Amino acid sequence: MPEKVNNKTIFSLLEVTLSIQKTLSARYARSFWVKAEMNKLNLYPQSGHCYPELIEKKEGTLIAQVKAILWKDDYININNNFLKILKEPLKNGINILLYAKIIFDPVHGLSLRILDIDPSYSLGELEREKQETILKMKKEGLFDKNKGLGISLLPKRIAIISTDTSKGYSDFLEVIDGNSWGYKFFHMLFPTLLQGERAVESIINQLHTILKVIGHFDVVAIIRGGGGDVGLTCYNNFQLSKEIALFPIPVLTGIGHSTNETVVEMIAYKNAITPTGLGDYLIQKFHDFSVPVTKAEETIIVKSMNRIKNEKLRFFNSVRYFRSVTGNLLLKCNNEILNKLRLLFQQSGSLLQKEKQEYTLILNGLKKETLSLCMSGKLLIKQMALSMKKDVILFFRDENKLIAGLEKNITLMNPENVLKRGYSITLLDGRAIKSVSQVSEGDLLNTVITDGNIISTAKTIHKSD
Amino acid sequence: MNEKPTYTEAFEELQKIVSEIEEGQITVDELSAKVKRAAFLIKICKNKLSSTEEDVNKILKELESKEEIDRNN
Repeated sequence: MPEKVNNKTIFSLLEVTLSIQKTLSARYARSFWVKAEMNKLNLYPQSGHCYPELIEKKEGTLIAQVKAILWKDDYININNNFLKILKEPLKNGINILLYAKIIFDPVHGLSLRILDIDPSYSLGELEREKQETILKMKKEGLFDKNKGLGISLLPKRIAIISTDTSKGYSDFLEVIDGNSWGYKFFHMLFPTLLQGERAVESIINQLHTILKVIGHFDVVAIIRGGGGDVGLTCYNNFQLSKEIALFPIPVLTGIGHSTNETVVEMIAYKNAITPTGLGDYLIQKFHDFSVPVTKAEETIIVKSMNRIKNEKLRFFNSVRYFRSVTGNLLLKCNNEILNKLRLLFQQSGSLLQKEKQEYTLILNGLKKETLSLCMSGKLLIKQMALSMKKDVILFFRDENKLIAGLEKNITLMNPENVLKRGYSITLLDGRAIKSVSQVSEGDLLNTVITDGNIISTAKTIHKSD
Repeated sequence: MNEKPTYTEAFEELQKIVSEIEEGQITVDELSAKVKRAAFLIKICKNKLSSTEEDVNKILKELESKEEIDRNN
């Protein structure tokens, strides 16, 4: 009971709180539905109880806040419902419709005791948030951004966003590393959380890390699998979707769940749905490159061989044609030569004949001419001989006459004859004296006369005047 | 002629040669050289399918050095 001191009624704190409790429980006897955002779940793992922080915001400003209590058994029930319907656990930051009763405890004060939470309301809220993200992405022109990138002809360098314990990760590696075509991929794991609210930040951080060494990679692959369909709302987060949309290389997803496609999967360059599917997609890219190369090889071999074969045939045909043409030409020329030769024979024969005739004719003429020439020559010689005989006789008669005259003169000139006529020759020392100067007095002179000689001595010498 | 084509360039050049050969645009004089070039390109392409030059350690080292820069800034 309250005390009375100096006319003042004084209550103890317990009395006040008990009064509040009494009033509130009378006023709020029934439970009711409340919509609120569960800012924090505040699960105490040891006790299994939760002490959620419920808030309401208006345009980002906090306008109401109430503590709540969720006992272990209620939490387990509600959480199971959520997992079944939302594919999400009860978690921070979701809008919920809760069935609650206002309770007041003298020690812990006012709180809402949560009896139930309607998962279908939260589902609708999540769907609404997802649609909001899609709308915002479209509005900012981000929705098709990553899809619009060109993918490398051979996406062989893969930055993998996953965890090394994920079944999806090992499935993916099995496909790309164990391929039977000998295709070689380079991959590097950038480990992250893959589900739950912290996944958003974790994935974004790794995207930023990849960005630093972007030159080493052709694609980013977000791989998850084997974890059930729970905790995928992080892939509807606007911030994460935006980071992926604006990523400079194609982002591929193999998040591996069968229900609704998340926003990240929608805006990714390629959503292969499962990690195995993503591996197959990359292998197919290699096939797309390899098949034309192999085909090119075959085509080049076949076509080149054909080309050479055809060319050989063409050449062979040309040679054959050339041979036949030249053969014909040769034959033709040969015939022509033979004809010409025959003609030459004929013509030269007849020409020879003609010449021969002419020659005979000339020869005959020559014979005749010669004969007549000889005849006339003979006649001439005969005449000349006759006339010469006459001349010779004449010549000899004249000569004889001349010689007789000369003989007469010569006879007259003979010293004997001169001596006979009384002349003498005086010799000195055997030589005839022609001048008195040759003779000296006393010289013995020999005087030759016709019938002998007189030897005398020169007595005097007189030179005539 | 590009002696060190990327595989994309090699692939495209190879396709060009194939279509040229298919359309019979290549003379017998060029054929030998073109086939030789094609063999070279095919080798590059096949090589790319079955090999990789990236090195995880190198990338990690690059990341470390970048992080230092980030911290200093």
